[in-house]
Parts: sequence; structure tokens; C-alpha cells
Amino acid sequence: MKRSYIGLIALLVVALVATWAFSRNDEAASMLGLNTATFDKTLFAAATSSEQAQVPQPKGRATGDGKRSVPAPRGKKGATAASTSSVGTGNNEHYVRPANVAMDTTKKNILFIGDSMLEGLKPRLAAYAEANGHKMNAVIWYSSTTEIWGRNGAVKVREYVKKFKPDYIFISLGGNELFVSNIQEKRQQYVDAILREFGNIPYVWIGPPNWKPDTGINKMLSASCRDGSFYLSYTPDQHYDRARDGAHPTRTSAQAWMDRVCTWVVNKSSHPIRLNRPSKTTASCHTEILQPAK
Amino acid sequence: METEMAYNWTTLWSNIASLFACDPSQPLMFHSGTFWCLFILFLPIYALLKRHSRAMMLAFVVAFSLLIGYKSSGWAILLLLFTTTTDWYLARRVVASTDPVKRKTLVSLSIVTSLLILGFFKYGNFVLLNWHAIVGGNFSPMDILTPLGISFYTFRSISYIVDVYKGKLKPDCTWLEYAFYLSFFPSLAAGPIARGVDFLPQVRANRVATRNEVYSGLWQVLLGVIKKAVLADYLAQYSALVFGLAAGEGVPLLVGAFAFTLQIYCDFAGYSDMAIGLGRIMGYNLGVNFDFPYRSRNVTEFWHRWHITLSTWLRDYVYIPLGGNRKGKTRQYLNLFATMLIGGLWHGAAWTFVVWGAMHGAALCIHKALMPKLKKIPDTPIVKILSGFITFIFVMVTFVVFRAESMHDCMTYLRDIFVNWDSSYFHTIVTQRSLMCVVMLVIVVTHFIPKRAYAWLECRFVAAPWIVKLVVFLAVVQLVLQFASAEVQPFIYNQF
Repeated sequence: MKRSYIGLIALLVVALVATWAFSRNDEAASMLGLNTATFDKTLFAAATSSEQAQVPQPKGRATGDGKRSVPAPRGKKGATAASTSSVGTGNNEHYVRPANVAMDTTKKNILFIGDSMLEGLKPRLAAYAEANGHKMNAVIWYSSTTEIWGRNGAVKVREYVKKFKPDYIFISLGGNELFVSNIQEKRQQYVDAILREFGNIPYVWIGPPNWKPDTGINKMLSASCRDGSFYLSYTPDQHYDRARDGAHPTRTSAQAWMDRVCTWVVNKSSHPIRLNRPSKTTASCHTEILQPAK
Repeated sequence: METEMAYNWTTLWSNIASLFACDPSQPLMFHSGTFWCLFILFLPIYALLKRHSRAMMLAFVVAFSLLIGYKSSGWAILLLLFTTTTDWYLARRVVASTDPVKRKTLVSLSIVTSLLILGFFKYGNFVLLNWHAIVGGNFSPMDILTPLGISFYTFRSISYIVDVYKGKLKPDCTWLEYAFYLSFFPSLAAGPIARGVDFLPQVRANRVATRNEVYSGLWQVLLGVIKKAVLADYLAQYSALVFGLAAGEGVPLLVGAFAFTLQIYCDFAGYSDMAIGLGRIMGYNLGVNFDFPYRSRNVTEFWHRWHITLSTWLRDYVYIPLGGNRKGKTRQYLNLFATMLIGGLWHGAAWTFVVWGAMHGAALCIHKALMPKLKKIPDTPIVKILSGFITFIFVMVTFVVFRAESMHDCMTYLRDIFVNWDSSYFHTIVTQRSLMCVVMLVIVVTHFIPKRAYAWLECRFVAAPWIVKLVVFLAVVQLVLQFASAEVQPFIYNQF
């Protein structure tokens, strides 16, 4: 065998062994600020269905290679809500608005906060706000969760409530926690902290648009929110086309989703406000963006 | 203790078996740890066989290539062997025959067979979907597992039979050599589309790579890994978000289009670099596929620099056979336009790709028509910068079409850039997505570094001591791992 091949093979073997060694010892690697490969986990860890469910799909398109030209996650297109939805006894499921609840026709100062689902929902809600004379501000915290928003007594929620002084709040959060185990034990405190900061301000919590049954986030949110303040986005009659990442609804679907939420706010929520269908498809509003949190 | 050990071994073997199981959602990419583990096992066997038994080496590489194909496309990869056999046999029959009609018939039979297979697997659902849309029927797509690299090996097989027919190439290769050429794993999944006339003589020569070639190949692979696994995959998170959602703000959409334009270059060129580098390590020259395309000052130059093996293939096997520029101006423009339409459709079965091809076809025609006038413009630095800028903007707009899910989405996307314009978003993006801005800046700057600087760096790497190469390799691995972690990927699937 040529010496150059021996040298290259030796180089690859040493690199593999070094990477393997770090993957066996996460702590040492993190002390050095290094990231580790997943060799150890790939080879020795017994696969669990929940882990497999969260494996990102490749994003490839159009390499001219037939295999990669088909966006894998598109199989989720039109994902339906399975009959095994985690929502069981949440108070909002059985909520029926009393007949004497009248629509609040005053102009609202709306604050819309949440995760990257706002990228799809916000432009449509902004169009509603503009058409109905409401003012609107939005805060998008990418990759955020109830834990991230609810940390330190939900300090960020307090900050934005203080800053924008809203009299109506929309929140869309929970999509990053669909598969968290023992969710109530881990996240209930943060949900409670967020809701505490809302105080008496009327709000609508838009539940995540599952593409498969969750481990309890919808049930927990439904049980935690005030009666008539939680919109369940995961029901058999809701179908959302997915973007290529397999999770976010597409532009058109996100608009349809927001339309359904607004119809629900007007007809079924505990605090209906004026949300007539706008002629414009989308609009913009003041938006603050927060970095993904660790 | 024994039970635990048994459990671990069972888990280990089960996990190793699952790595080789067919899983179309997890293709074996050249920048994955699994591929490199396999390559470490592959390389010594390949090197030994290459020296001692050429036939065994060829059989071994074909088997390895089929394994990679099987991982992505299951038993459908065996169609590659069917194409190999029919083309190899028909090519020999073409040369054996002196009857021109029979020769033409045999060539046509080979091309039609290859195109029918490609058409069924890649465009079957697309054709049926459009047919049902016209006649108004219900259509549910067929569940077809497409063989890995079918577009690439089909084009390679067509070039082979046509070259044999034209007498550019003698069909004296054995079946094994031809199977090696069509299935060669570095270029199987995503090219380059090496021609038989260039590649088969290398197979016959069976030359062993020199030390310089081995390490120059490794350098090329590392560059490809950085482009694909670090830069492209990072930017893909952002472009996936803005292209997939109703992100109606103008500035993020514009940045998304810019990011995708950089991403697609890094993705294609990165994968090509890895393929070319692996080929060089094994002693084969696969040519050049990308030559800094965004330096182009017009769309014609762009196609001389972008996916070169595809554009030259289209020129030689579509444009020239259609008549090229030999039948008058109008016919030339029509040929050019038709060639680009085919080129667009080759990229995928969707109308957006057809439109993308049509836009480039139209631009090439316009550029050809204006060429006499454009030549009169003095070649000043301002003209150079301006023409480069206009070309880049055009390419960027066409990539919005390329990337969009549908023409409706594409039009909405482009419209929203202008309708919902708010310049203050620039500040937000720079401050809130600083790493993404740095990544984009790095790509732009490195794109305009002179080629001699890359050549110098490559020489330094090749000449460097072994330990330095190891450190560089580990640094690239670490870079990939850092960028693959959740903290720096704002938009991964399960972290909205």
C-alpha cells in the first residue's frame, strides 16, 4: 500500500478515535468548550420512539438527484389531528360562553408574544388589528418555550407588559414542548408564572398546531388558562399544510389558522373583541425579536 | 454484569445494522460520521486491491457504491445495474453494426430506455398530477422510492452511448469497468457528471494517486464539508423559515432570498467539492463543477461557472443536437430556451423549476441578442461592478422561484419584499442575527478571494506535517459539530 494512503488512514483513525473519546466523555469536552459527536449515542443508546419522533428531516431540494429533490417533510402536508389528542379534561374544552357576555367593541392595544409560530400568525393578526382599529405590538422569541418565557417569575413577560401596556394579549407558545415527558411536573410552574404576569388583562393562548399527539402540553395549557382563553389548535377538523421543516404551517395555512383563532375569539372566547375579517391578507406591526435562548 | 454486556452488544449490533438499513430520510452524506467510519474501512481495502487485483478493486468499489445507494433507496438501486447492462450491451452492438439505421435505432433504444426509467421515477407523479388537474380527476401520488442519483447516472449513460455512436469513445470497456463508471460513489448522489470519454481511460489506467493528490483531495473534501455542513446548513435554517411561512416583512424576506442564494451555492459546490476530493484521493479526476459563479458579470458567464458539468452536458447533448447556432438566430434562441427548460425540469418535478429554467433561457437569449451592443460599452471598473451586481440580483430572483413551493408562493414572496418594506429591520437582523450575518459575510468575502490564494493554501496544507493536517481535520470536525448544535441553529425543526 502506498505510504500516502497509510498516512491518510492513520489520520482518519486518530481523528475518529479522538472524536469517539470525546463523545464518551461529554463533561471533559464541555470543559474545553468542544462539542461532541453522537457516535456513542448512535451506537450504544437504545432508540426510543420519542427521540426518533424529533429527528430533523433533511431539507434538501433540487440537487438534480431524484432522491433529494423530494422534500421529505412534505409527507406531513395536511397533517391531521389524531383522535389520540392529549387534550382530555381541560376546562376550555367544555367551556360554553354565557349568553350575557357581550363583545368588547373598544379599540384594543394588542400584544402578541410567543415563538417562531408568530412569523406566520403575526402578519395576519396585524391585518385584523389594522382593519378593526386596534393597535398591535409583537415580540418573537425564536426557539422559546414556556420555560424560557416563564423563567425568573416570567420577567420578560412583565417587561413587555410594562413596556407596551396592552389591554389584550395573544400568546402562541408550546410548539417546542410537544414531546416533553412529565410536562406538568417540568413546565406547570412556568405557565403559571406567565399567566400571573398577565394579571387581569384578557388573553388568548393559541395552542401549538401539533402534527402528531403531544405528551401533554395542550392538556396542561387548557387546564391552566382561564375559561374561554385557550384556543386548541389540534382538533380533527383542523388541517394545516406544513412548510418544509415539517412543523411550521405554510404561509397560507398560517393565515387560515389565524382566521380560525379570530373567529373563535369573536364567537366563543370569554372576552370577544372586534375582529372583522380584513380585506388585506397581511399587514406589519412593531415587532421585537429575541435571540434563541439556551 | 453479563446481562448488561449482552444487552450492550445486542444494542450495538442492532444499531450498527440500523445504520445500514434502507432509510430514505437519512441518506448517507459525505459529511456524516457514519460515512467516514465506513470510508476508514473502505480505504485500506481499496488501496490493497488497487495494487494487487484491478478486477477485485472494481468489484469492491461497485459493491460499496451500491451499498451507499441501497441505504438511501433500497433495492431500487438495482435499476442502476439494469441501466449499466443495457447500455453496455447496446453500445457494443452499435459499434458492431455498420447499418446506419440499425445504429440509430440502437442508440435511440438506449436513450429512450434510460429516459423512461428516469421519467417514471422522477416525473411520474408530476405528470399524473397535472394530467388529473386537466381532466379533473382525483389523484393520490404513487409511493415511489427513487434510486439514488438516477438523474446523474442517466445523464452519464446517455453521454456514453452518444459518444460511442459518434465515434468519440470505443466501447471496449468491460461490464465491470462500465458499472464502476456509472456507480462511482463519490459522484453518484450529486455529480459531477463525469463523461465516459474522460473517466473510463482513468479506470483502465488504474493509476495510484500520488501523495500530493491524496492530500489535495483531502483538502478539497474539507473545503466541501465547510461549505456544505457549516455554511449551507446553517443558512438553510433561516431560508427554510422565511420561505416556509407567512413572513410578510420585506427586509427579512430579502435577506432570506440572499441567504438562500448563498446557501444553494455552498450546498451544491460543497457537495461537489467533497465528491471531487474523494475521487482525487482514490486517484480519479472528476473535473471542476463550480468556478466562483457569483463573480459572473452576465448570465452566460454564470452558466460557464455554475454546475459546469451539467451546463456542458446540456450544451453537447441537447443544445448542439437541436441545431445549436447553425440554423439562424431565431432557431438558436429557441434551442437555447428549450435547453434551459430541460435543464430546469432536470432539477426537479415542479413547475417552479420549469419557470426557473425558462427565466434563465430567456436571459441567455436576451444577452446573446444584446451582445453586439454590450461589447461597445467600455470595460470600466464601475461597469464591471454594475454588471456583476445586476447578474447577481437576477440570479437571486430566479432562486426565489427555484426555492418557492409554488408560483403563487413565489409571487407572494417577491411582492411582500416591496409591499411590506421597513428598513428598521436591517438593524434588527444585524443585531439579533449577528452570527448569520457573519456567515453570509464570510461566504461573500471568500467568494472573491483570488484563486491563487486558494492554490497557495492548498499547497501549504499538502506540504504541512502530518500532525498539522490532523489538527486541521479535527478543527473542521469541531466546526461542523459546533454549527450543528442547537445553540447556533435558531430554526431547527423542533425548536421553533
